[in-house]
Amino acid sequence: MNRNHLISSFSIFVFLVIWHLMSVNYFNPILIPPPIKVAAKIFEMSEDGELFFHVWASLYRVIVGYFWGCVMGVAIGVAIGLSSLLNDYLDPPMQFVRNITPVAIVPLAIHAFGLDEASKYVVIIYGTIIPVILNTATGIISVPKIRIQAAQCLGASRFEIIKKVVLPSSWPFVLTGLRLALGFAFMGVVAAEMIAADTGVGFLIMQSRNMLLPEQMFTGLFMLGLIGMATDRTFQFIINKVMRRYMILIMAESGFKKT
Amino acid sequence: MSKLLLTNVTKNFSNSSGEVTCVLKGIDLEISDGAFFTLLGASGCGKSTLLNIVAGFEDVSGGEILIDSHAIEGPGTDRTVIFQDVSNALFPYMTVFENVEFGPKMSGQRKSDRKIAVEKYLKLVSLENDADKFPFELSGGMKQRVQIARSLANEPDILLMDEPFGALDAITKKHLQMELRKIWQETGITIFYITHDIIEALILSTRLAVMTAGPETVLREIFDIDLAEPRSPANPEFAAMYQKIEDLIDEEIKKRKLDE
Amino acid sequence: MTMTKSSKHRFILSFLIILVLWWLSSGTIFVEGIVPKPNDVAVLFADLVASGKLFSHIFVSFKRIFLGFLIGVLCGTSIGLLVGAYGVARTIFTPIFEFFRNIPPVALIPLVVSIFGIGETGKYFIIAYAATFVMIINTAAGVTSTPAIRVRAAQCLGANSLQIVRWVVIPSAWPYILTGLRLALSFSFMGVVAAEMLAADEGIGFLIMQSTNILRPEDMFVGFVLLGTFGFLTDQLFKLAVGKMLRRYMLGVENI
Repeated sequence: MNRNHLISSFSIFVFLVIWHLMSVNYFNPILIPPPIKVAAKIFEMSEDGELFFHVWASLYRVIVGYFWGCVMGVAIGVAIGLSSLLNDYLDPPMQFVRNITPVAIVPLAIHAFGLDEASKYVVIIYGTIIPVILNTATGIISVPKIRIQAAQCLGASRFEIIKKVVLPSSWPFVLTGLRLALGFAFMGVVAAEMIAADTGVGFLIMQSRNMLLPEQMFTGLFMLGLIGMATDRTFQFIINKVMRRYMILIMAESGFKKT
Repeated sequence: MSKLLLTNVTKNFSNSSGEVTCVLKGIDLEISDGAFFTLLGASGCGKSTLLNIVAGFEDVSGGEILIDSHAIEGPGTDRTVIFQDVSNALFPYMTVFENVEFGPKMSGQRKSDRKIAVEKYLKLVSLENDADKFPFELSGGMKQRVQIARSLANEPDILLMDEPFGALDAITKKHLQMELRKIWQETGITIFYITHDIIEALILSTRLAVMTAGPETVLREIFDIDLAEPRSPANPEFAAMYQKIEDLIDEEIKKRKLDE
Repeated sequence: MTMTKSSKHRFILSFLIILVLWWLSSGTIFVEGIVPKPNDVAVLFADLVASGKLFSHIFVSFKRIFLGFLIGVLCGTSIGLLVGAYGVARTIFTPIFEFFRNIPPVALIPLVVSIFGIGETGKYFIIAYAATFVMIINTAAGVTSTPAIRVRAAQCLGANSLQIVRWVVIPSAWPYILTGLRLALSFSFMGVVAAEMLAADEGIGFLIMQSTNILRPEDMFVGFVLLGTFGFLTDQLFKLAVGKMLRRYMLGVENI
């Protein structure tokens, strides 16, 4: 483990060195500043609270929008998964709409809600809800029939089966959907902020371009990468924990397949 | 002249914290050309490790292995392994025919020559009508036969078999054991076989070694098997041999339990 | 996708219902200036088709998607093969990858535009960027999923390293690579829309953005319909192509 950490740290270091050399000797410093200057800017913006202000603005929007998007998404996804009627009616439009990226919705949201927070929430909820619905529904539908039959043999009622067999079995899928949705949520909020906001990381990036502040832009990009990485890692961790239970089941199942 | 000669073969493994475990300690073994040799032992005694070493997947920590008086350098076409996990060992994206022709194809044989070889060996394992099927369409027993045909098509000197029938049901296993014996008799190939099933070992082998329970496994005893044909557990000599070997293995297992 | 008769009916019915709901909601729940009536959208659609503008928007977007996708896939697959095959490579590159792949391509557009201007190169870069990371991850996963004993079996049968890569590793990795390709295509669509919205004067993304500028909401909805339709069609085409040409690599695998 330790050896790997060393190599990773070293590679990051090498990357920074290469960046510095390229930036000083090759790139236009107005476009790509050296890492030292970016670090200084990060420090400066952290000190006067400006960084936290914008980061929190974005994070808050994501948290609220993501939460509601997930809640609604799981509810709708479960409904679609359990009811073949709903599935038949809702799946085709969903397969159509899923191709419309949240970024494309931004102008519509702004048109409808102006520069209000509502426009950002709409985009985030939209970006969140679709992958959650799709993955949740798939999870519900993918419950191995044999498991349901086993529960029926043991005398479970339909409600009990849903509660104790179907929902738990679909957890890995739901979590995958939630993880994907977070990525889309961030994508949505950044796009919305870039186009029509005066707070947030997206705004920061756009402002940096307009005012030719490359260090600030890189600060914004860096924060995005950092937050994205942190949240994704957290998700991976949670999924691994939950999946461990289910991995045993999945492995057992593949052993029962035709040999 | 022996086909396979192991002299004082030792194998150590070290784990991530640097601890060294001696899995095999000083194995001496001589297998003649055309023999059907079986390695018997309880789980975890190092049978597969020894097979991996002979196959060339692992290096020895000490000692020497000679095949036809040549030293081993990594995996080679003179020794082909038949794995127990046949679903992963076969190429699922290739038909039976393509799987079997793989060895000759890699060595650059012409298409027409390959076809002849494949058909010959598919016939040997009774799969000549399934050449265009994919592995997922076959039963476990059939897949194992494909693996055997694939290995034989490359005409190795030694066939290394790692509990090949362990995952099959009892009836299929019996049939395949018969078939394997027949193939062995017809081709005269040398076989190095691993199992924990004593009956299987007595049905198939001309020579048999019982391993001690690990770690630091050695060969406890080597038997030349000369039982009457056809080999059958009902035969009194067979039964006696079985008892003898079972007692040996039980002894070894008890010894290990005491050490733990 | 085999559907029962009732499923087929519901399929068509679902779109009709949406259409009706759309028509009803425009002018009532939603202001017509924001959500126009479907017939108005259809009229504009016909106009754009007649003037040839629709075709040029679609063509331009697809050209960008295609080239960006190709570049991204080539880069991503080759890096993915390396990372998958050599644990060292993985340890070296993972921290850098993990960081950059979490930056949404949208966020990079201002920087890319500053560097490359509003020409086509910048768009290819953004799209390729999105596609590359997906391919790296999936290709690497595919390579590492190759069962060790399959490689060993090939070694026993006399295959050298190059032959093993060609006949064992890559075929075993195909399901993952194909999943990656499908995802990369979807991300390429997203990338092109974002790039066109922020820095272009042609294309589906531009059409959507233009709608707010010229205060003609129908454009936006034409754009949505195009995105939905083409996204769906390309995905189906992809599935079909895989089904036809690459079936043997997907045997026994739960569908992508």
